[in-house]
Amino acid sequence: MSKTTTKKPDARHANGADGAAPVISLRNIHKAYGNLEVIKGVDVTAHRGDVIALIGSSGSGKSTLLRCANLLEIPQQGDIVFNDEPVAWTGSGHTRKPADMAQVRRIRTNLSMVFQQFNLWAHLTVLQNVIEAPLTVLGRDRGEMEEIGHELLTKVGIGDKADDYPSQLSGGQQQRAAIARALAMEPDAMLFDEPTSALDPELEAEVVRVIKALAKEGRTMIIVTHDMKLARDVAGHLIFLHQGLIEEQGQPNEVFDNPKSKRLQQFLSATAAE
Amino acid sequence: MEFCAEPSTLTGPAWWACYLTTPTHFSFYLSFGTVLALILLAVPVILALGFAGAFARRSAFLPLKLVGQAYTSMVRGVPDIVFFMFVPIALDQAFEAIRHVAICPDTGQPIYQGNDFVVCDAAKLPLGDAAQWVHQGYGFLLALIAFAIVFGAFAANTIDGALTAVPKNQLETASAYGMTPRQVLWRVHLPQMWRYALPGLSNLWMILVKATPLLFLLGVEDIVYWAGALGASKTSFYDFPHPDWRIWYFGFLLIFYLGLTWVSEKVFARLNLYFAKGQASHGSRREPVMAQ
Repeated sequence: MSKTTTKKPDARHANGADGAAPVISLRNIHKAYGNLEVIKGVDVTAHRGDVIALIGSSGSGKSTLLRCANLLEIPQQGDIVFNDEPVAWTGSGHTRKPADMAQVRRIRTNLSMVFQQFNLWAHLTVLQNVIEAPLTVLGRDRGEMEEIGHELLTKVGIGDKADDYPSQLSGGQQQRAAIARALAMEPDAMLFDEPTSALDPELEAEVVRVIKALAKEGRTMIIVTHDMKLARDVAGHLIFLHQGLIEEQGQPNEVFDNPKSKRLQQFLSATAAE
Repeated sequence: MEFCAEPSTLTGPAWWACYLTTPTHFSFYLSFGTVLALILLAVPVILALGFAGAFARRSAFLPLKLVGQAYTSMVRGVPDIVFFMFVPIALDQAFEAIRHVAICPDTGQPIYQGNDFVVCDAAKLPLGDAAQWVHQGYGFLLALIAFAIVFGAFAANTIDGALTAVPKNQLETASAYGMTPRQVLWRVHLPQMWRYALPGLSNLWMILVKATPLLFLLGVEDIVYWAGALGASKTSFYDFPHPDWRIWYFGFLLIFYLGLTWVSEKVFARLNLYFAKGQASHGSRREPVMAQ
């Protein structure tokens, strides 16, 4: 099975059109909680500029897969390769863990995550949220970061909320602040874990607008979503997960308009009926 | 002082002015300082023991975890008064026994002789010829340690609970952005735990304030001691004879403690607002949320 984006008709893990290594490559990922197997051997590769959407019903393992990418979840099998650098492991099976936490932290600083529940730090103002990790983790200069922070907040449309606390913001504003926080890390790729699922349609639109703008900038993104319209609009590659396996993948328009597997047909008709 | 030289000739305001400025009354006034000093000195030690106990209990290192659990459950399981009686005596004997072994010439006699605890004079704490204030200070120090150990165990329980109450996603997000465990602790976990710890700690503070008369039990001349001594009826044998005024003296203590706890409530309400900043919950509704 090869990835079928128009941009990169090459094999899954090969270098991209520009010859560069993939930003992030998940290879043969297996993840189980106790005896419950959630992911049963999945490959996902994102080259620079790729926007990949992961869809599937609840429990299909898509969020877990995304969390494996920055090692918030530890897969029992499989490799994670970041910019040609494989994560080093120690132990095996349920005792498996990364051998070098410094490596994990370095990878995480380059893979900013946006969460379903926003997860802004409640005790910090919006601006403080945006500059916290760049200051403490990357050791950036405060004055410079505050300037960048204000710019990013303006970019996502909440420049006037810099000194508010997250609890004073609407969900849509909080999620946009979380996206600004992710951007402040100047990451190689961004991971979105159902970024619009906690929002009502009106607030969802403002977040979708920001994500679309980021896609247009050519940012590398992996987006787990329930929002089929978002997937169709922004993704260059679509992956449909079912029961821990990739059931179908390809160009979003192709996959949506002409689903081959029965599962995907059922899934799409169920989501369309909503 | 000439003014008060002949108390029996005084009447009205002059009598009161002289009565309330006797040396024993100054000892009474100073003993309020003793109580406040106990509280203020105990608080940092209690918090230190509280954090140590809480982190010991949460430790992944089993022996440390067991020490933390043993400390908190043992102290919390024993009546406070028993502990307050036990700890100063135990500490005193432990100090003296150590000094006995280190300092005293070997007499061949055991330290425990039947029911008696016997150490040589040089090992006594404080030394027999020490000034009165040294005796008082030593007793105060033992009491302080007893208070700190007892209240530290309760603080450990509160702090442990508060650390657990911080939402997991707040910490996970910090890790996801590349923070080290230490950075997660200092930048997110500790700043956010205060608002959960504060109700328990303010409770503990109130109990600590109200437990200070236990100093009296430990032989420290505190405000309760002096109120009793000054309030008791004085015959004409004394310079300022008066009937049994203990109800007034103890009544004054009552007002003192009420005042102290009232001020404490105000301070904790302020602290609560400060630490609740941003952390949406019922408690923080009192701040002006929703600016728009």
